[in-house]
Amino acid sequence: MSTSTQTPAFPEIPGVLTEQGLSTNDLVVNIGPQHPSTHGVLRLITTLNGEVVKDMEPVIGYLHRSKEKMGETRSYFQYQPTIDRVEYLSSFYDHYAYVTAIEKISNLIVPRRVEYIRMITMELNRITSHLLWFGTFLMDLGATSPLFYAFREREAIIKLFEDVTGARMMYNYYRFGGVNADLPVGWINQCLKVVNDLPKAFDEYEAIVTQNPIVLDRTIGVGKLTKEDCLKYGVTGPTLRSTGVSLDLRKTNPYSVYSEVDFDVPLGTHGDVYDRYMIRVQEMRESVKIIQQALKQIPGGDTANVAQKEKEIAEATRLAKEQGLDPTNIPKMDPDWLIQGQKVNLMVFKPAAGEAMSLLESPRGFLGCYLISDGSPKALRVKWRGASFSNLSILPHLMIGNMYPDLMPIFGSLDVILPEVDR
Amino acid sequence: MSEESAKQNSPEEKAETENKAAAPPKADAEKAPAAKPAASTAKPAEAPPPREPGEFGKSLEQAGIAVTHLGKDAMGIEAIALSTHDLLKGAEHLRDKCAFDLLVSCSSVDFKTHRQSVYHLYSINQNKTLAVKVDAETRDGKDYSPSVYPIWPACDWHERESYDLMGIHYEGHPNLQRILMPVDWLGHPLRKDYTVDDPRLVWNER
Repeated sequence: MSTSTQTPAFPEIPGVLTEQGLSTNDLVVNIGPQHPSTHGVLRLITTLNGEVVKDMEPVIGYLHRSKEKMGETRSYFQYQPTIDRVEYLSSFYDHYAYVTAIEKISNLIVPRRVEYIRMITMELNRITSHLLWFGTFLMDLGATSPLFYAFREREAIIKLFEDVTGARMMYNYYRFGGVNADLPVGWINQCLKVVNDLPKAFDEYEAIVTQNPIVLDRTIGVGKLTKEDCLKYGVTGPTLRSTGVSLDLRKTNPYSVYSEVDFDVPLGTHGDVYDRYMIRVQEMRESVKIIQQALKQIPGGDTANVAQKEKEIAEATRLAKEQGLDPTNIPKMDPDWLIQGQKVNLMVFKPAAGEAMSLLESPRGFLGCYLISDGSPKALRVKWRGASFSNLSILPHLMIGNMYPDLMPIFGSLDVILPEVDR
Repeated sequence: MSEESAKQNSPEEKAETENKAAAPPKADAEKAPAAKPAASTAKPAEAPPPREPGEFGKSLEQAGIAVTHLGKDAMGIEAIALSTHDLLKGAEHLRDKCAFDLLVSCSSVDFKTHRQSVYHLYSINQNKTLAVKVDAETRDGKDYSPSVYPIWPACDWHERESYDLMGIHYEGHPNLQRILMPVDWLGHPLRKDYTVDDPRLVWNER
């Protein structure tokens, strides 16, 4: 094709002489895009001087599926099933952000039973997400058995999700002003049983990992962060809390029914990888506390109760109609016990014109859904603010000047999910 | 409760279902144009009543910075609009005097007539969120908006994403490159005029 016959010579890179008089060069290593430790498709262009990282540039976008454009081209209901794929490890949170934005814009009533169901599923999801992080993080450090321990508990919770939603990962369970279906009969007891066993399992993990000398060597003092660093890069979630900043939206700006349960926000002091590990383990214990309280406080209790009440009301209505009695005396269903506040016809659903930014605390940090509606059946704009996106941007800052072998503990401790970065 | 609400909704629903039953293909065709004028008439009607100035809008006004108050969004988050000229001054005031130390996100919106950047800020001390909107300036067919990188470096990747997908050039950004799309991608896919039949996609789908 080209007329020039000269082949370009390899550029000569001037080397630097070492003390021994040997010529040495920086080495550019491409980590990824396909690499088991990057938990997705991430490319890191790394410049190494020996084993020390001199420069690092993350390249993202390999998993970009135009989720935001899809939100503008599909109707609100059609878009819902695809939200699960924004962040597949804790997709209840994405659904909650999207659904609350629309509920607030169009003033839909949400019964308290629904909010409790949402809070329980979200907190269970936080545990599954942290468990998967726990397993893979230690796998990055070279320990394979914690993954099997973590998946044992994760499996039990995922079975609970399957009973409720019919799916193991892509739940698509929340609806505008309600949830898709009520909890199965007996689910609350089953859930309580699983959740009560969890702290014992966490003790077991901690017995293996928390005081393990290899883990301590590789995590204490590694990847240190300060509050200023985190704010400079917009880092939130457990990574920010490991520096001692008590910022948890569940506590500071309570949404759903988080103000009705009692829990603590675990904080770190040093901001290193070990603190991030400890915070996530403690957060799982706090989630267990939240779920235990919520299962006791949920309005209506077990679904069998609700069904029984419905039956009684139907029976009373039938009798009243037969005998021609005053209809005002018929007992009514408690509005808190319903699973749908207001009937919404999803096929022709048009929220009012308006906008909302629903921010919530996902397992990884701030999750935001900025939604603008112009009153038509499709959104004008859906913007996802994933916590992983900002959390990943701090990686070069953490790595430059550090040893290359520390990359995996540091990157693992940020708990980045690449689909959420690329959306 | 449910019975009541069901009763309230039922006449509308019936009408809709009847419409559909009568002429299913027409009903959809009629609905789409019907929805658009309604939206366009609703917008100008919404703009005239002056919004109440919020806490941070007032604070900016007192510092002598021109602010447009936009009231609150559905979640109760205060929204203000700044001009491109006043953005950096306003941002500095918000960071230093109102303690907005965390930039949550930078979104970009295409309103067809103009494009807008929306910064969501969070204050850790006050536990409050604020939305700052900036309409981009159009020069030679390109959109320009000042970068808030000197105030909140956290906007780095967020503004790169807005540039990549919406084509707003952030002036003063240290590294304004594409971030999600390939470097040689043509056009900015989140714009409203970028549809599935866009000729630029032929080049991109090579």
